[in-house]
Amino acid sequence: MSSAESTVKNKSLRQAMAGLHTWGGLLPSWLLFVILFGGSIACFDKELEVWMRPTLHPVGETSLTLDQVSAWVQKQAPKPPHAIWMRPPDERQPYWYAGYEPQNELEPFVSFTLDPQTGEVLPKTLGGNFWFTLHYNLFGGMLGMYIVAIAGMFMLVALVSGIIIHRRIFKDFFTLRPDANGQRAWLDAHNLFGVVGLPFHLLIAYTGLAIFVTFYMPAGLKVGYKGDIEKMFSEVQGQFGREELKRKTDHAASIDKLVLDAKRRWAASGEGGTETGWISVHHPGDKAAVVDIRRYDRSRVVDFQWIMSYDATTGAFLHEQKPYKPGYTAYAWLTNVHMAQFGGAIVRWLYLGLGLMGCAMVAGGLQVWLRKREAKGGWGVGFVRAMNGAVLGGLPIASLGLLYGNRLIPNTVNLRDHWEAYTFIGVWIAVALWAIARRNSGRVGRDLFSVAAVLALGLPALDVLTGQPGALSAAIARGDWRVPGIDLAIFAVGLLCAKLAWWPRVTKEAPVKVRAKRERRELAEESV
Amino acid sequence: MSNAISSKSAAGNWRTSPVLATTSRIIAAIFAGYGLAYASTMFLTVYLPLVRSDRVVFASLASFIVYVAAIVYAFAARSASRAWLVLVGLSLVLAAAALVAGDFGARR
Repeated sequence: MSSAESTVKNKSLRQAMAGLHTWGGLLPSWLLFVILFGGSIACFDKELEVWMRPTLHPVGETSLTLDQVSAWVQKQAPKPPHAIWMRPPDERQPYWYAGYEPQNELEPFVSFTLDPQTGEVLPKTLGGNFWFTLHYNLFGGMLGMYIVAIAGMFMLVALVSGIIIHRRIFKDFFTLRPDANGQRAWLDAHNLFGVVGLPFHLLIAYTGLAIFVTFYMPAGLKVGYKGDIEKMFSEVQGQFGREELKRKTDHAASIDKLVLDAKRRWAASGEGGTETGWISVHHPGDKAAVVDIRRYDRSRVVDFQWIMSYDATTGAFLHEQKPYKPGYTAYAWLTNVHMAQFGGAIVRWLYLGLGLMGCAMVAGGLQVWLRKREAKGGWGVGFVRAMNGAVLGGLPIASLGLLYGNRLIPNTVNLRDHWEAYTFIGVWIAVALWAIARRNSGRVGRDLFSVAAVLALGLPALDVLTGQPGALSAAIARGDWRVPGIDLAIFAVGLLCAKLAWWPRVTKEAPVKVRAKRERRELAEESV
Repeated sequence: MSNAISSKSAAGNWRTSPVLATTSRIIAAIFAGYGLAYASTMFLTVYLPLVRSDRVVFASLASFIVYVAAIVYAFAARSASRAWLVLVGLSLVLAAAALVAGDFGARR
């Protein structure tokens, strides 16, 4: 093949990829923004949960035993449940989290949050879990999970096609032309965020798909296990389980004593610690009831829980979880890299930063699309402007609105969490209508930054006014920066929004002649 | 942009319409691409030289990479019909190879 012919071929490949990147990127971009934003915020779900529960006492010893909590949860269930789950308080989650799985698999898990000292049910709130659920299924159950997966595939394709068209990936990385015309400046921003975050974005999109791989790609399960998912999981996870006998018993061994036994067995290995995670009782009240005690090992990515299983009636030791099979270890590593439950605060901040960089990449890409068509004229400009305001502005402002709702709706209100949801939805609808009505005013961005600035700057003040008196300063005195950290971070976001809203950079169109050499540079993708 | 993807021939004749060609590539990317990912997962689940659980896990995890590659190929291929031919052809070969093995894929 001659070199001229190969150049033509490369050019047409890049052209095809540019089309794929432009349209395959535009279509899911608003959905991707929601998923990326939700996931970024969910890095601090437990901290937000504590923020949203201002009546929680500072970290202290719990006065409740597992036996008390287990008995209490069983009483809440109208019918004997399939299983009950309990999570004792720990450093990041200073409250009891417990609930039951109804016998009917289609009914949802019913959960309670208990005050660690008094055992009282804490006022209902959507909590930090809100952004997590938004992130992984958009509150749409199974259908939502598939929609998120489709967006994830689009993201992978957009990243790969983006790499192909952004040919001079290292050379052009240093090309920033903030004074250039809108489209070029946004293209540079889109490239900067895209390239800096690229390894993370590839990893996070891929691992996000990997988590529910058995739903999205059932071929392996069908061929290898003839579709028997339980057989596969018992084989790879090495867990224990047994059928209900349908014979009732009033006798129950003390779960607290069983935990001591499990800790003794874990300690024998000498690594990974003996902190407990989730504790479950399957078929409670039945003769075949099983207590599973899981370890919570924060020292590694793969969260092998080394489950110790006991007979719930006699307390006899039944089984210890066998190590994962190598393939499952690889799978667990990928999924746990996605979920960022390892490595502590540094990893959470890193994921938050890189996730928001993904949001910025999406926003930058949308601006490139818009500017190009605003300059040359084209179809869909009004629609994309409206969507940008409604989604890119709407979701963050509605999230702030939710935090306001959390603090302003009294604890005595029935179904308080529902009212929080109405606040979130109401604020989002209001922003969306505003963005749609004013889409061609050229001021939507600035207006929405002003609203976000006012809300974000006011939130720390609201926290001080509505929280426990002196709680913030007491937390800082203890060196506990989790709740004050959220207030400070939101305040910083408010300052940034204020800067963007009220002191925008004045753009001067410099005459072509005096433009610096770097502004005249052209990126490979600009020619396609 | 969309017309850049398609063939150079003039619109009008439905056989050479650029809109039709692009639509055809999109459908090939989504459906034939998933077909290839599915078939490759079946194939690898049967033939990877590993124990069953590892074969299933690695074959399934590879499926997303196959799918992305297939989607990119559907747009990079010289023509839409070629994209269909390669994606469907490869899928059929891989699926047939996996089915020929019968219960061999479910071995330990």
